[in-house]
Amino acid sequence: MSLFSIEVKKTFRRWRTYIGFVVVAGAVILLEVIIKLNEARMAQNFSHGMSGDFLISGSMLNAWVITAFIMNSLYIHVPFLVALVAGDMVSSEATSGTLRFILIRPPSRSKIFTAKFFAMLFYTALLILFMGTLCIGIGLAFFGGGDLIRFQTSMPHIVILPAHDAAMSTVLAFIAAILSMSVVGSLAFLFSTLVDNSIGPIIGSIAVVIISFVIGSLPFEFLESLRPYLFTTYMGIWQLLLNSPVDWGEVGKYALALLGYDAVFFAIACFVFVRKDIKS
Amino acid sequence: MSEAILRTAGLSKRFGSRWAVKDLNLEVNAGDVFGFLGPNGAGKSTTIRMILTLLLPTSGSVRIFGKDAREERRSVLSRVCGIVEKPDFYLYLSAYKNLEVLGSLTRKVKREEILEALEIVGLIARADDKVKTFSHGMKQRLGIAQAILTKPDLVILDEPTSGLDPQGMKEVRELVLKLSKEHGTTIFLSSHLLTEVEAVANRMAVLNHGELIAQGPVSDLLGGDSSYYSILVSPQEGALELLKKNPWVEVVSVGNGIEVRIESRRAAELNKLLVTGGLDVSSFAAKRSLEDYFLKVTEGASEV
Repeated sequence: MSLFSIEVKKTFRRWRTYIGFVVVAGAVILLEVIIKLNEARMAQNFSHGMSGDFLISGSMLNAWVITAFIMNSLYIHVPFLVALVAGDMVSSEATSGTLRFILIRPPSRSKIFTAKFFAMLFYTALLILFMGTLCIGIGLAFFGGGDLIRFQTSMPHIVILPAHDAAMSTVLAFIAAILSMSVVGSLAFLFSTLVDNSIGPIIGSIAVVIISFVIGSLPFEFLESLRPYLFTTYMGIWQLLLNSPVDWGEVGKYALALLGYDAVFFAIACFVFVRKDIKS
Repeated sequence: MSEAILRTAGLSKRFGSRWAVKDLNLEVNAGDVFGFLGPNGAGKSTTIRMILTLLLPTSGSVRIFGKDAREERRSVLSRVCGIVEKPDFYLYLSAYKNLEVLGSLTRKVKREEILEALEIVGLIARADDKVKTFSHGMKQRLGIAQAILTKPDLVILDEPTSGLDPQGMKEVRELVLKLSKEHGTTIFLSSHLLTEVEAVANRMAVLNHGELIAQGPVSDLLGGDSSYYSILVSPQEGALELLKKNPWVEVVSVGNGIEVRIESRRAAELNKLLVTGGLDVSSFAAKRSLEDYFLKVTEGASEV
């Protein structure tokens, strides 16, 4: 058994790991059922703002539109679900005492740490892909396909992706969302190596995410200079992939920034972990 | 002379301003059952953590199998295993799965090896039960199973009988002796119980307040000097009269029994003296508490 598979096995043997999947499934199913039950009214509200400029026939609601809408929860509860597992990966072993049992074995601390980190990334990826599969699957079953029409605050205010591009763009958006959420996971993982309890890293990382979002969205000039340094600035990478045309230069810039944060958080955490005295 | 497979040189650890272990020089030979004795808080676990690379020493070094334990960690730890303090496991996994996970960190372990380890510690019937259903004693035994699973050359056991009932303690002692005799495993066993060390170890070191106060063969450290014995004898008055006539016997106290201090080698002689004197001896037991022993070794030489 490789170190990675051991860590994945341990992660998925814990009920805590499945909280995220249950919450995501509950939220997606609930939202899609509510939208389905109120489809006519919601379609009317949705198209209301465009009726002056566009001739609309049939319902604008389809799997891609609803999936793009639900993806906004990537800013709300998904970071918490990622932190719930990532923030617990090292600290829970320190608390339970199992850390000292694995660290007296031959593999180096850096290898054990890296295996844990990749197990965390694996969980994050699986959670986002699960969310994507559920959103698209239920969306297609309830509403069918069609053009992806969405509103955004920046220009152009209305984005229309033809049906044949919408599927690929949505899949790419979910893949980008994995990268986006991996930074939250890396941050929680870093905090998890610093303390011997699980609550601190989870709350701490979510607090940092919220504060960064707040700083990034407050309309004050003196905060402008901070925005390029906030990882939350780049967490909307998935939205860039739902534009038409896609600005790939911008996507690349966001992806590099997110990978950079992943690397920095990993490096700091690994540095701490390799040198720390195991007293628990 | 046996080869030293574990050697610490000037090993020290300081937490803040407090020295948990200071200038420790230990030497464990191949095939030893080495007792590492000291009261709670003496620094035994800190020493074990440094040996197993969990703690970075403030100064000094640990060499195992002739190699620096930190610099050649992988090769050293592939031949060492143990329990550090209480045995903690993944409570949500079964005993079997715990051993599989922990063992595979050292090398690929076969199903038969896992079952054999569980068999040795008497947990084979509970192999598939989750560890959260285990008692402390069962976890302690599972801890020993994970320590011997990969058949290491050196097994380090930190207070392995802690929290066990007398039967459990006896089983662990028998297991330690079996590992040593049948498998040739070198055992490093820490304990705060003198009787435990005496029962299984051939060599021992005594630690107090983080400092080594004695090290050497158990027979030399415990057997050479005078010791305390507790005697239940009837009639007591007759016994006291007889003892007074023998100046090599020092009567320390008289209560329900008589406590005497004599040279250890004369214990049988004293017993015989009482019996041939027409007295009924119902108990003649060496009284060796760790406290008594500390008093003795700190009175005398610091190292054998």
